Amino acid sequence: MGLTFAIFFISLGEGMYAQMVDQVVRMQAGYITLQHPEYREAPAVDLWIQVPEGLRRKVERWPQVEKTKMLILGQGIAKSGAGSLAAAIMGVEPSVEFESSPLARNIVEGKYIDEQDNPLVVVGFEMAERLNLKVGKKMVIATNDVHGDLVEQLCRVKGIFRTGSEEMDAYVIQMPIKFSRRLFGMPERSATQMGVVLRDPDNQKRVLQKVREEAGNIHAEILPWQEVLPDVASYIKMDKGSNFVFQGILIFLILFTIFNTILMSVLERKREFAMLLALGTQPGKLRLQILIESAFLGLIGCCLGVFLGGLAAYLVNRYGIDMSSFMSESFSISGFAMTTKLHTKMSAGIILTTAGIVFLATVFLSLIPMRHTTKFSIVDTLR
Amino acid sequence: MTEIVKTEGLTKDYGEGEVVTRALRGVDLTLEAGEFTAMAGPSGSGKSTLLNIIGGLDRPTSGIVTVEGKDLGKLSGTALSRMRKDRIGFIFQAYNLIPVLTVMENAEYVLMLQGVVPQKRTEKVRSILKEVGLEGMDHRFPRELSGGQQQRVAIARAIASEPALILADEPTANVDSKTAAGLLDLMRGLNEEKGVTFLFSTHDHAVMKQARRLLILKDGQIEHDGGMVEDIEAA
Repeated sequence: MGLTFAIFFISLGEGMYAQMVDQVVRMQAGYITLQHPEYREAPAVDLWIQVPEGLRRKVERWPQVEKTKMLILGQGIAKSGAGSLAAAIMGVEPSVEFESSPLARNIVEGKYIDEQDNPLVVVGFEMAERLNLKVGKKMVIATNDVHGDLVEQLCRVKGIFRTGSEEMDAYVIQMPIKFSRRLFGMPERSATQMGVVLRDPDNQKRVLQKVREEAGNIHAEILPWQEVLPDVASYIKMDKGSNFVFQGILIFLILFTIFNTILMSVLERKREFAMLLALGTQPGKLRLQILIESAFLGLIGCCLGVFLGGLAAYLVNRYGIDMSSFMSESFSISGFAMTTKLHTKMSAGIILTTAGIVFLATVFLSLIPMRHTTKFSIVDTLR
Repeated sequence: MTEIVKTEGLTKDYGEGEVVTRALRGVDLTLEAGEFTAMAGPSGSGKSTLLNIIGGLDRPTSGIVTVEGKDLGKLSGTALSRMRKDRIGFIFQAYNLIPVLTVMENAEYVLMLQGVVPQKRTEKVRSILKEVGLEGMDHRFPRELSGGQQQRVAIARAIASEPALILADEPTANVDSKTAAGLLDLMRGLNEEKGVTFLFSTHDHAVMKQARRLLILKDGQIEHDGGMVEDIEAA
């Protein structure tokens, strides 16, 4: 049972991280990001890149790649008759975004933007409240273009999204990328980032390497999401650290229970062992018998634990657990909205490592009770 | 006659420091092959201690004990285990059968330790079980047997490996007098027909009467060695 719980909870933890990363990178610039080499130091629209269309199409044809997306990220001020707010302006490819980003699917009023919409935008629920914006209402976006000049653009609200993240809902404005290029004075096919969304995040390293090879002399750095979104990566690292302690305690409790069971079984059978020794059984053979028994029991326990834990993890991987009754609606991490339906992430590595640790520890722990099998007085025990 | 057991100046102390109990005080004893010897004496006289030391289950504080000419004090743990397995059979008062093994498995355990092939040991044990009156009970577990039947299994286990010596610590103490008489007949029959040497402890006069040699132990010493129980009673 201990192994079942360990496998399930470790898979659930890994699933939560994977979901978190997936949500975040889909809303941002993918698992792999191409951006201007100086963009990380000082993100600004004048640090744009132009990715050759051929490269983009080639990357999209790789089986590991779900989509590529172009993004323009800028800062500005959103104004309406009710006031003004600082805003993150995201120029996106609406059709790609709709298929790959959870934000585009969280429209609560109106509709999401499309390629032809110009100058139509979607804003967050909080921003709409604060600026008293409704679908169809006008607003002004003020920002600096690539030359540093102040520009203002009148737009109309096409939709209002609600992700559950207060930061995103109060701060983000999305608009078609073509419109944002004009707003910021950027050339055709330019973007501040190109993102690669993967079907399976475990392929990140491989695809990153391939993209770097294919990109050749392109003037851009190609980064994994961990370097583009260091806050999220640090949060996961920290949380994994505390989870590691929890998992360590869980495994310790499992091993303590196993040790106790083996020890009790040996002590309960002390008389039997004394009798076997009296009849001429070699102490070494008796110790070996305990070792084999423990290994056998450990193996059976591990098989059962792997089966039950794997089954539970599989079911939650497939159907998920709805945690909405335990978590607030605006559940967010590092400013990014998270889903309250949790899924496990199953991998042979997690299952085999956990089962392997428990099995080897069982065999190792049986060495202590094993010594007890022959370290007593036969006469006193049989008396 | 061949000498099977010889003890010289055997002493055994229990406890440490000032609280030392001397269980044996210089026991000198010789057992010849084929003897059927009973050992009697009050509780605490040292009967079980002497049996345990002769059987290599315990070590004496001082003195020498040899079994078939081998000084047990000089044998390693492994050699002592081998000696118990091949040359000595044990019958305990509490039977000490392995509860999870059947009659057949209990009886053939020592043969298995000796590496006898399964078919041979099954044949041998089956004939021994017949000899001790347990024919057809091969597959029963100890809990399904009476006390007398369990002790018969213990006897079968003790003789299966054809040891030079069988040590029995109050083998009839836990059974009724009729069963005790049956067990004694069985042991005596094995002694007479197969020449197995027996040394057993007892409190029971009826059992003592069956012995050809009687030892009386008192306060850790052999007080009497030789005559029949009637002679001792008369004296």
